[in-house]
Amino acid sequence: MTDLNKLYKQTILEHNRNPRNFGKPESWTHHAEGLNAICGDLVNVYLTIEEDVISSIAYDGESCAISMASASMMTEFIKNRTVKDALEKFELFCQLMAKGSDVKHIDDLAALNHLVTVKKFPSRIKSATLCWHAMAAAINGQATATTE
Amino acid sequence: MLNNKNYRDQFPGLHQEVHGKPLVYLDNAATAQRPQVVIDAINDYYVNHNANIHRGVHSLSESATDLYENARKSLAKLLNAPSEKDLIFVRGCTEAVNLVAQTFVRSRVQKGDEILISHLEHHSNIVPWQLLCEQTGAVLKVIPMNDAGELCLEQLDDLLTDKTKFMSVVHVSNALGTINPVKEMVAKAHAKGVPVMLDGAQATPHLKVDVQDLDCDFYTVSGHKMYGPTGSGVLYGKAEHLEAMPPYHGGGEMISKVTFESTVYNAVPAKFEAGTPNIAGGIGLGAAAEFMMSIGLENIEQRDAELKSYAEQALLTVPGLRLVGNAKHKSPVFSFVIDGIHAHDIGTIIDHHGVAIRTGHHCTMPIFQYFGLAGSCRASFAFYNTEAEVDVLVGALKKAIAMFE
Repeated sequence: MTDLNKLYKQTILEHNRNPRNFGKPESWTHHAEGLNAICGDLVNVYLTIEEDVISSIAYDGESCAISMASASMMTEFIKNRTVKDALEKFELFCQLMAKGSDVKHIDDLAALNHLVTVKKFPSRIKSATLCWHAMAAAINGQATATTE
Repeated sequence: MLNNKNYRDQFPGLHQEVHGKPLVYLDNAATAQRPQVVIDAINDYYVNHNANIHRGVHSLSESATDLYENARKSLAKLLNAPSEKDLIFVRGCTEAVNLVAQTFVRSRVQKGDEILISHLEHHSNIVPWQLLCEQTGAVLKVIPMNDAGELCLEQLDDLLTDKTKFMSVVHVSNALGTINPVKEMVAKAHAKGVPVMLDGAQATPHLKVDVQDLDCDFYTVSGHKMYGPTGSGVLYGKAEHLEAMPPYHGGGEMISKVTFESTVYNAVPAKFEAGTPNIAGGIGLGAAAEFMMSIGLENIEQRDAELKSYAEQALLTVPGLRLVGNAKHKSPVFSFVIDGIHAHDIGTIIDHHGVAIRTGHHCTMPIFQYFGLAGSCRASFAFYNTEAEVDVLVGALKKAIAMFE
């Protein structure tokens, strides 16, 4: 299977077709918008944080399949984690996806490791990390996040 | 009739593989490939004539100066400017627009005055005017466009008011390919006493441009869009304007006498060319202008028309593909979207078939806001592209669609 097929055939297209936790919820406690100015990607992340636990998380926006699938996977992965844990996982995800790094797998990231193929397409790494930056910004009380 | 094969052979960048497939370069509106003559001209300067210009009395400085000034003459010929002295070397259209905004327009506007641009502008012909408006209190007005991506020119007379002090519009849209009827627009503006700048970044690679026939006050040229080096370009200005305008940047070269009390500026065009310029870039751009004239702009226009017609019909066979902008007069630039697949995914997938296109908003966000889109795919052609490359593009798009099914 080519890198291209690996990138699109597996998890990403499935999540792109059946996004989890997609759509603007009726209520939330924390929200941030992720913007990728170069691509024009936009992802909104909505969190409800109760007693330091992310009890619900949803997203919407308009961006490519990689960005949409990454956000879908992130919401499944982050829900019911503590804020501290979520931010630690954000750091780990950034390490996994760092351009030029040879990190191929991080146990704690479980299914998110599927996204490591994106690293073979350096111009697309920011598509995968945008939603995570938005989630961290929402937790930190910032309205907007970028991948820069 | 243009022998496409022979001209293709003169562009070394076209003959390479990407992901094991022959490159199909369809991102010419972002930057064109360079012919060997341009690369050779740059190389020749650095190898055989490397010296600063307009400075030394030694032989190398003289020959470098001659090459640079001959390049200016070539560009004057390409644009049919009255004199090469009417051309200022700049880094590109962005610098040209900023130069005119700050040295010609700024002193002419007061709070409440209006600057007129169009909905089709590149960000580089929007933001410099917004900066000027912030500085002066002037107001930015926009000529609207229709669903075809054509300007609503029936509104132009009403938009040119007593308060309009300047109009700056794009000759050919980089995002949609629309060719604006700029000669008619200039005439309408002049009838109301409004000077006009035309952004020619996407026009000079495709069209015969005659600044005297257009009667524009300023015309901007981007070197790298017309097969010349990046970081090169020229601003044409009517001589009476250039004479009256203050300098843009201060420094060496733009002066004739400096004391600590005062400075006497150099004559046009040196007055606007402070510091050691991009000498190799200017020389390379001159070579690009000569190259285009040797092919013949009428031949390029004819080849563009053939490619445009073939590509449009071929693209419309792709299921779910919608063209964005279908102006009656357009250059071979196609913006399109495909149902259910984001432009960036298409861009990544067809890159693996060797096809290079641009995806996103193409530095024209207001155009895509009009169409309710975040961006598009854009395939932009040059005269060296072929019908066979159109077929590769269409095949790659169909494979991308299959991947998402």
